[in-house]
Amino acid sequence: MPQLPLSPTVEPASAEWRDFFALTKPRVMTLVIFTGLCGLLAAPGEIHPMLAFTAILCIAVGAGGAAALNMWWEADLDAGMKRTRHRPVPSGRIDRTAARDFGVALSCGSVITMALAIGWLDAGILALSIFYYAWVYTVWLKPRTPQNIVIGGGAGAFPPLIGWIAVTGHVTLMPVLLFLIIFMWTPPHFWALALFVQIDYAKVGIPMMPVVAGERSTRYQILAYAVVLLPLTVLPWWLGLAGPVYGIAAFALGLAFVVLSAQVGLRTSSGDADTMKPEKRLFRYSILYLFALFAVLVVDHAVTSAGA
Amino acid sequence: MTDPLTEPLTPPELAALRARQRSRSLALAWVLVALVVLFFAITLVKMRAERAQVAAMASAPAKDGAQ
Repeated sequence: MPQLPLSPTVEPASAEWRDFFALTKPRVMTLVIFTGLCGLLAAPGEIHPMLAFTAILCIAVGAGGAAALNMWWEADLDAGMKRTRHRPVPSGRIDRTAARDFGVALSCGSVITMALAIGWLDAGILALSIFYYAWVYTVWLKPRTPQNIVIGGGAGAFPPLIGWIAVTGHVTLMPVLLFLIIFMWTPPHFWALALFVQIDYAKVGIPMMPVVAGERSTRYQILAYAVVLLPLTVLPWWLGLAGPVYGIAAFALGLAFVVLSAQVGLRTSSGDADTMKPEKRLFRYSILYLFALFAVLVVDHAVTSAGA
Repeated sequence: MTDPLTEPLTPPELAALRARQRSRSLALAWVLVALVVLFFAITLVKMRAERAQVAAMASAPAKDGAQ
């Protein structure tokens, strides 16, 4: 990992609570909370509202802990990128050791609470998801392979699985499909972003796909993942695990995702003057897509339950 | 030459530092209170569920015996 100098502007001991909160990557956490909640709400069975709240809280806090560990490990890289140099550790607002300890405390606290309140299976999967993000993705894959985001995408795919298992207590096909949907969604989502911030990644030596394989290959791969994602999202309906409300919405949302991915996949960048509008549009839509897909899953479950 | 890191803080800097420390301490206090409430509520829910389970198990043999 390149050792870039940190730029301390504030005495580390003076960190505010907001700085610690920023370590948890709150914006990423919203998607984690939402997909976890949808997994919990769409699962068959019942859970006490207090335990449901605790399960979602543990998913959120665990994700926050993993994010803090990620920021601790990548402080040097973050210092070298325009998008991340103002984060609490590279800007010097939080001491590195404090960031690490905060991440460990949140991770351990969330797993132990999950084990006591919900069960050991859910706690084990939560621990696995934290380990996957903080070590498998951040430490191991990200600096080594351009496939980092493909395999590392699994880390973000755990929340609906954990939410579902909090209700049912066991692993079935449907939560595994939800896991796979987020797994396949991550590469086109992240590579769309990587296409318009690739200069930053190249500068700090991170082998992101556009930097290593080139733009052309990345664009084709974005389209390929979007094409595979479409039938995968419709699969729960086809297998009878979800109703027509979900099936039709998943098909329509997925079709739009393929169209926007095709606009990115089949075009060639016109150089430095290119504003990368299709890439930015795909990135924004991909976030909306995932929110909508999981929201529809919950609506479908409510409609099906009401009709039964 | 003076080292800026060992220089004593000016009164406004010290006041700002104290304000940040106070905000952090307050946030930590709120988190601890929230944790106490959370664990108390989880305990109540778990105890109630266990009591209901024991009651269900106790009534099950009686039903079986009645058949």
